[in-house]
Amino acid sequence: MENKSLLKSAILMVIITLCVVLCWEMYLRNLGVNNSYDDGPPLWSHTREKVYQSPSSTVVFIGSSRNKYDLDIATWKKLTGFDAVQLAIEGSCPRPILEDLANDPSFKGKIIIDITEGLFFSNAPPNNEKPIENIKYYHDRTPAQQASFTLNIPLESLFVFLDKDNFSLNAKLDEMEIPSRPGVFMMPIFPWEFNRNTFDRQSAMTKDFVNDPKLCNQVKGVWHFFSEMRKGAPPMPEKELDAIFKSVKIAVDKIKSRGGKVLFVRTPSSGPYYEGENMAFPREKYWNKLLQTTNCPGIHFKDYPVISNFSCPEFSHLSPADAKTFTEHFIEILKNEKGKEFPLSKNQN
Amino acid sequence: MIFNSYTFVAFFIIILILHHLPISWKFKKINLLIASYIFYAAWNPPFILLLWLSTVIDFFVGRALFTQNNPHKKKLLLVISLIGNLGMLCFFKYGTFLLDNFVSVVNLLGMKYHPATPSIILPAGISFYTFTTLCYTIDMYHKRSEPVKSMLDFSLFVTFFPHLVAGPIVRPPQLVPQFETERIASKKQMFDGLLLLSLGLFMKVVLADGMLSSTADTVFNSTDILSALDAWIGVLAFSGQIFLDFAGYSTCAIGVALCLGFVLPQNFNYPYAAIGFSDFWKRWHITLSSWLKDYLYIPLGGNRHGKLRTYYALMLTMLLGGLWHGANWTFVAWGGLHGLYLWIEKYLRDRKTANLHKSTDKLFNAKKDNGLTGFFYALLTFILVNITWVFFRSNTFSKAWQMLISMTGTETDGKALLTTLAIIKVSVIIPIMVITHWFMRNTKVLDVAHQMSWWKLGIAWSTIVLLLIWSQESGNSFIYFQF
Repeated sequence: MENKSLLKSAILMVIITLCVVLCWEMYLRNLGVNNSYDDGPPLWSHTREKVYQSPSSTVVFIGSSRNKYDLDIATWKKLTGFDAVQLAIEGSCPRPILEDLANDPSFKGKIIIDITEGLFFSNAPPNNEKPIENIKYYHDRTPAQQASFTLNIPLESLFVFLDKDNFSLNAKLDEMEIPSRPGVFMMPIFPWEFNRNTFDRQSAMTKDFVNDPKLCNQVKGVWHFFSEMRKGAPPMPEKELDAIFKSVKIAVDKIKSRGGKVLFVRTPSSGPYYEGENMAFPREKYWNKLLQTTNCPGIHFKDYPVISNFSCPEFSHLSPADAKTFTEHFIEILKNEKGKEFPLSKNQN
Repeated sequence: MIFNSYTFVAFFIIILILHHLPISWKFKKINLLIASYIFYAAWNPPFILLLWLSTVIDFFVGRALFTQNNPHKKKLLLVISLIGNLGMLCFFKYGTFLLDNFVSVVNLLGMKYHPATPSIILPAGISFYTFTTLCYTIDMYHKRSEPVKSMLDFSLFVTFFPHLVAGPIVRPPQLVPQFETERIASKKQMFDGLLLLSLGLFMKVVLADGMLSSTADTVFNSTDILSALDAWIGVLAFSGQIFLDFAGYSTCAIGVALCLGFVLPQNFNYPYAAIGFSDFWKRWHITLSSWLKDYLYIPLGGNRHGKLRTYYALMLTMLLGGLWHGANWTFVAWGGLHGLYLWIEKYLRDRKTANLHKSTDKLFNAKKDNGLTGFFYALLTFILVNITWVFFRSNTFSKAWQMLISMTGTETDGKALLTTLAIIKVSVIIPIMVITHWFMRNTKVLDVAHQMSWWKLGIAWSTIVLLLIWSQESGNSFIYFQF
């Protein structure tokens, strides 16, 4: 007993572990699951590093999830020759990221800021949590964390089951949606088909999602849940809103003072979601005032017929096919109409 | 570098290969030392200078303390060592805390003083390696053991990566002799070590991080008065989290060292099965409590100078032990509450011993023998320990007070905060943990593993590893790193 080693048990452990993991992987692949990279602070920080590339070859995108779905990075790179550094974060306000870049004297590049009014003009702490966490992680990253990230990438590229948001133990437990007591906040569940994340942080719906009304309705239900939550909230006081405009202007001016360029974009939404947004955030009071205050160019999808009539599968984000079309037209508009204010040609900085 | 990271997996594989190369023992030790510095530098490279400074000062001061016969010079050397070690600890860990308290006192006296808040980063593991080096110089002062002959062995004793950042806090006689002769893990040690490493990671990653931490955070970050159910579930979640996180780290550390052929002291012995608080402190963070006993409680007089002095020494040890955990008065209160429990326990014990004319040990052994009564006392101890965790986890006294009010259930309109799933997780894990502690309290996990049939252990081991893979928790730091 004393000198008995656990070799036999260890061999059995390795065999069982390998068999179960491989079966799980094959099962998920049979379901049509493809790779999706964990979009946590390590990947965001890895992307954040790229903002220092030459401004003549890079554009930084910040905003909320629409930016991640609607900008097709491959199309962008192909048509502009510029690298797209995608720093937008789902369900969050991009202002902390704007301020972080504005306060970084080494950043002198171009930024395109996606405006989802309900998030951009929000001071609710939950909307700022993720950006703040990511920024802190980026600045405090240890060499060990960077090494772990590098080692993790080949594994995430190889195994589809390595998708914490959808296939981890906790994700599966959450999927049971066990009812809670009245008044307890329960995060609604998104189907995995709604968001597959590439290494350069582009989000895309799967074909199954786009073609399955049930899945689309599930996500529409999530938007309805959040809009119902917001209904009870009191409107933002004017002073608070003015402070937001002021803080954005200060950040934008800092970037401009270093030779940087800033452009705002309102990406498409549709159906009752767009109508609700229009009512809650009238264009004159928010979008127009933002461009006026910051003195920056902007592209609102409703101002351009070629991008004004997309139908979003779940009212808020474009399908992958529409994202390509949108990106092509968006680049045309940028080049033809905003070329002077926001040059995309490499010899114009 | 943390154990629950891919970096560590790669690092450990390289170390194991280097450790098994046919090279001299001295080179293997140099490899281990360099590896330990890399392990530490992977967190924040500049702080490695502090580690070097501490190592060099204590190596030479320790040797001088042992050979010096002039009592004045000896005391001077000890003071130099104490100032060097504790000064560094005070600056990095307590600098801001001391300044804040000074400012509060000065402002209370009516003087306006508002200095800029210093931005001091706490070097990882400074509390642990300071205690490791301190015990060496104090031992040298008292000539309790021989000075370490080689700088290489001493550096490795201080820096050996499995214990460097969060213990177990090792004493020179426990580790230094192991560096003197060549160590390669036997087949038994290697697989025992791997089992402990898997178990430690399971405790940390699956249970502490995956199942309990978010519930504890949600409750302790809430600003509302909560329902009694939510408050208790939050506290129980933290109670499980802190044990599984820290004992998980210690289990990993012991397992990693064992894979290299080294034996580190046990740091936890099923503390939630403790009957009473002196038993708890013999089972919780054993290397710290024995350190505090030997280098603080006994020098303060221990139980050799009458009852009053014993009570004083006990309380001061617990208060300082609390402060060691963090620069906040809430940690002092945590230590103070444990001190109070120990006072009450000692008083009751002394009274019963006097009444029954029986030895304390016999009395308590009798209790332990009685399964149900023992379990009742263990549960009572566990519940009272949970009260202390409220102070440990709360950032402020007002938060701690708010939690205690919520836990009493006197607030009828307390907010319901936790989801049913979160409540189920805690309600399943905590009782299983406490019952496991109870049944395992007089045994060791490796003994149980060796008693199991190989296929049952193989299935249990693979379940642990599969849950570890399935949980996909990212590499969160261990809680005790911040101490």
